[in-house]
Order: sequence, then structure tokens, then C-alpha cells
Amino acid sequence: MSVANRSLEYREKVDAVIVGAGVAGAILAARLSAEHKKIVILEQGPNWQLGDLLSSQIWSRRLKWGGAPVELKGAHPAGHSFNMGWGSGGSAIHHFAQWPRLHVEDFRMKTLFGRGVDWPIAYEDLRPYYDRVQEQVGISGDHVREPWRPPGEPYPLPPLKSFKQAEVLANGFQNIGLRTGPTPLAILSQNYKGRAACLNDGWCDAGCPIGALAQPLLSDLPTSLANGAELRTQAAATRVLLSGDGRRAIGVEYIDHSGTPKRQHADVVILANNCVQGVRLLLNSATSHHPHGVGNSSDAVGRYMLTHFSAGLAGMFDIDMQNHLGTTGSALIGQDAYARPEGSYSWFIAPAHKLSDVLGIANVDEVLFGSALHDFVRRAAKGLGSITAVGEQAPRAENRLILSGTKDAYGLPIARWDNALDTREQTLFATMRAEGLRALKAAGAGQLWASERWVYQHIAGGLRMGAGPADSVCDSYGRCHDMPNLILAGAGLFPTQGAVNPTFTVHALTQRTADHLSEHWGSYAI
Amino acid sequence: MSTANPQRRAVLKGGSLLTLLYSIDGIATLLSPREAHTKAVALQALSPVECRTLEAIGEVLLPGARSAGLAEYVDYQLSIDFGDCLLAARVVDVAPPLAAFYRAALASIDAAAKRTMGSVFATLPAEAQIVFVKTMATSDPPGWDGPPAPLVFYLLRSDAIDVCYGTAEAYERLGVPYMPHLLPGTAW
Repeated sequence: MSVANRSLEYREKVDAVIVGAGVAGAILAARLSAEHKKIVILEQGPNWQLGDLLSSQIWSRRLKWGGAPVELKGAHPAGHSFNMGWGSGGSAIHHFAQWPRLHVEDFRMKTLFGRGVDWPIAYEDLRPYYDRVQEQVGISGDHVREPWRPPGEPYPLPPLKSFKQAEVLANGFQNIGLRTGPTPLAILSQNYKGRAACLNDGWCDAGCPIGALAQPLLSDLPTSLANGAELRTQAAATRVLLSGDGRRAIGVEYIDHSGTPKRQHADVVILANNCVQGVRLLLNSATSHHPHGVGNSSDAVGRYMLTHFSAGLAGMFDIDMQNHLGTTGSALIGQDAYARPEGSYSWFIAPAHKLSDVLGIANVDEVLFGSALHDFVRRAAKGLGSITAVGEQAPRAENRLILSGTKDAYGLPIARWDNALDTREQTLFATMRAEGLRALKAAGAGQLWASERWVYQHIAGGLRMGAGPADSVCDSYGRCHDMPNLILAGAGLFPTQGAVNPTFTVHALTQRTADHLSEHWGSYAI
Repeated sequence: MSTANPQRRAVLKGGSLLTLLYSIDGIATLLSPREAHTKAVALQALSPVECRTLEAIGEVLLPGARSAGLAEYVDYQLSIDFGDCLLAARVVDVAPPLAAFYRAALASIDAAAKRTMGSVFATLPAEAQIVFVKTMATSDPPGWDGPPAPLVFYLLRSDAIDVCYGTAEAYERLGVPYMPHLLPGTAW
């Protein structure tokens, strides 16, 4: 079906149309709708409810990317679908809720280490938002036992309960001279603001229906809807609509649930879909005024994509590690190897294990099969301990999203992502892997498993913020340099992403944008 | 989408976590993959030859996968929309339509087995099947002409793991508490 060949239905103009019902879109919708702005949210995937979050690793795959494929190319093709969400709540409804802050140094990588670029803002600019968000959502942790954490208010809740696996593995790290502390988790260790505490049953990535894990279905999306915002799901944005002179965004064209092309006009257009689809949407919106894509006068749209390369390791112990208990992410964090010239990495230690799925026990030894695999699962179900190191990838212009020659079901080019790690990053992976093996041995593990090859977690960049249009797409509030009423939100704005999970920073950054939009609405919605 | 009010802890009483919806004699019927296999339900996406190859290699990858309903599980998932699909292939960036990937993979297994060992995979001696699968784990077997064999190995193995270990029954068998909040089943 060609968009051009179908008639369009025009809808009433609203104050803001938001593409994407994940964390960033939900935060902005909640804030603007509370201020009596008329808001429409367009979400490509289904309209999930808490009651849809079934306790099954198999069923959890419905929550992951189900839209147009992404071509993964380059010397070291990245991973996409596992990291992305599909439907209301976005990737946050299956995220692990590990919420470390970016470090002070992450904002000044070019100045300190000659690598990448500095952010146009400093840690101190985001610090009040980190503090505000952690109080709102209820982060469990212990800032004293997390000595690497940058300045900020103590966490509002104590750490979650930990189990034998964490105790054993912490000893291993201690035995090789490395510190560990409770992972800061956006998961409630106690009842908090009417929400129930975690039951330590390890279903985080299948979606937490009891409300212990912070995600948009709990608060920001229902708040938005209660305030009068309209959520249209199965609505795939295909183009940003521009004024005749190409100077302003006037709305978004999309395909609705029935396959009909429609347009939603608005004073302000906010792209809060994930960074891959955000880039694709801008590039697919090219016009005669913007022949290389909307917001792309800098040629920066799609460049400087970021992901984390990670090393996963496991060891077998001859005791009951209670490894079915806890959270999907980890019980402990270690950041002794952070903010160094050779690069940063973080350890995430002692996750709750499930038997099946990509990260399940049965996939620890990926070449094992036959009755030996059954034997392994039987032993590992009690005795496995595992750790993961997450390494920092530096931004490089050639790690880039462009439009592919392949088209989706609507006749629009899909995204192509070229990715490669440089020599420093490959060396860092080897360091992480070797250190992990030492820690597991020092913890008393018998047989060890360590992947020879990294895997990827988290996706950011491609829409990076900066001081001006020379090498960035938007300012630190997400305002597009080329178009004053086009706002970008989410991890795509990150100039660098350190070696920590991005969701806390997305929250903080988006709250900052929300404040700015609220205070300066008149300058956006002219 | 369901609007059910989530419970703090669902009560698990032997229910399957992996049910497929079939029409049997015109009546909508929920079956686990194992039940679908026992009832020999008609497959929708895979041919009888593809089914035979899938079951044969699944049984080598993880003994018990055939009777656990591997072919019925995969066939069902290949016959529904990609956005609803539950196969591991979805989350490791295999481009839809997934049926095309599986058909190419199963055809490659048989073609390579026949070319180098003289017989399609299902009729190879057990020892030859193991040698073939062991090669697939790390590289393309001689004569291979399809998606990368290690990826095929990984995904078929994941499917076998799903039907053998992705269910509450498997956890119970191993003595691991399943501890669900919400059980699938009614949402179909």
C-alpha cells in the first residue's frame, strides 16, 4: 500500500502530538495534559494494560519490538529488537529497572579523556531531576554502599532483599579487590505511595503487573488519559508534516489501526518514539526544503548511535544459590572500573534466573545440546551464579542509522544501522571478560562460562543534543535546531551514555524538558 | 487487551503457560503444544516434510521436544501476525516473515544432510545426526545453503527449550518455584 495513493482524513488540531507512548512520551503527555493542553499520543504497537503482563518468558516476547525490521550492518552489527519495546509503555514495561545515575565525568568525556564529546549540560544540571524522579517513582538502594554514585539525595527506599547468589558472588569480587553494593532499582523494596512491594520472583522483564516496578502504565499514561489526553495505539507515524515554507512542524502523518493514512495537526510536534524509529521518521520526512530529512541540516540525524557491549559470564556452584529469587537485572552493582581513560564499565551481579529465553539458564552454554543440556539445566537450576559487565561505547559519526533500500509494508524505507567497536572497546571487552572470570573463580565456582563475543544492551544516540547545529540535532531540551516547535525526547538525545542503563537519565532529562516546555510554551507554540 | 485486575500472586494448579488456539470440529479449543501433538492437529504453516525435519532435529537438540509439541508450537507461531509471535526469532532480529526463515532453514538442513551424508536429516542414523548438529552449532555444514547454520541451531534449540522448559510444569519437575503473578490462558 502506498501512502500517496490513499486519501487522508484530517483531524482536529491539538496543542501537541506526541509520537511514542514510552517513558519520554508519557512523561511529557502527563505534564502537558495536567496544564490543560490538548494532547494526542500516537503509538505504533498495542495498548497494553497491567493485566496483559503475563508471568512467562515466552509471552514476554510480545512486549518487544514487533514493527518494521531494522537492517543491522557494519563490522560488528548491533542488536535491536531485544532492547526495544512494542506498544504503550515502550521498552520500560520489560526493562530491568536498574537505575544508576550517569557519573559526573560522563558529561565531560571529551574534556577529561579526549573521547567522544561533552554534553551541553553538566551533571549538576540533571542532579535535581534525578533527585525528583527517584522520590516520585521510589528507587530502592543504598547510596552509602554505592560509593561511586555521584552527589544527590539518598534513595527513598532501602535496597531489595538479596539472596545466596549475591552473597557468594560479592565474596568473589571482594577476593580480587573489587567493591560491590546494592544495585539501585526502580523496584519497590517496601510499599510506597499506594504501590505494592516487590515479591522477588524475577518476572521483571515479563512485565510487572503488581506495580512494584516503575513504568509508564502505572502513572504517567493513566494520568495523561485522566487529564484528557488521547492515546491512539496501532498508529504508525510515517512523516512529520511541515508548513509550506518548511520552517515549522504542523503535525504528523500516520497509518491507523485499519491501515488508513491519517494526519494529526498540532502546534507542537514531539517525537518520543525510540531513537531508531525517531531517526527513521525524520529521514523519511524529507521535503524540498529539507532534502536530507527534517532537522538534518547538520547531517547529524542518525549519526553517533550508541549501544553498550556487554560480557555475560556464569559459574556453577555446588550449593543452592537461590538463583530463582530476586530481580531480572541484578542484586549488586560494581563500578570500580568507571570514568577511566581506557573506558568505563559496570558490573551487574546476581540476577534472578529463569529456565528459558535468551538470558535463561538453558542458554548459558549456547552450543550444548542433547541429554547433556538436560543435565546442565538440572544442575544450573540450583547452582548457577551469573554476572554481566556493561561497557561504554564512544560516539563515532560512522556508527550511523540511514534509510535502507528495503521498504516496509507501507512502502517506506526501513532503517539500516551500521555499527562497529573500535580497538579500545574490544580491548575493554577482553578486560571485562577476564576480570569476570577471576571474580567467579574467587567466588568458588567450578565450571565457568564466558562468551567469546560481546552482546549488546541499550540503544541511544542518533538525535544527539549539542550547543548548535554544527554537529548536533537539538538543544539540551530536545528542541530541534532547525525547527523551533519540533521536540525530540528520549535516549536518542544522549551525546554519550556512560556504562549505565539509560532509563533513569531518560526520566531526568525528560522532566527537565517538561519544565522548560511548561515555562516557555509560548515560544514553542507560536 | 485484557483489563483484568492483576492479583498479587496467581494460584498455579497445573495449568499450562503455553496454550495454542485451534478450531477442532468447528469448536475453538485451547491446547498446549503437547496436547496439540497428541491430538495430531493439522499444521498450518509447515509442510509434512518440514515438520518431520523440525521434529527430528528438535529431538536431537533436546530429547523430548517432539512429544512436548515443538512442531505444533513453531507452526502455530509462524501462522499468526509477527506482532503477536512468541518465537525467540522475533527478539534476535530475524526479519519477518519468519515462516520464510524457517522454511529456508529446514530445507538447508535436509539439503546439506543429503548432499554430504546421503539422506535427509530425519532418516540419518542417530550418530550422524549428532555429528551434523554439532557442526551446525559453530559453522555451516558442508553443502549448506541457507541462513547461517549457527543461528538456525540457536533458534531451533531455543524453540525446543521453550516447549521443554518454558512451562510451569518444567519448573515443577525441577523443583523450582514458578511464582507467577498472572497466568496466560484467558487472554487468547
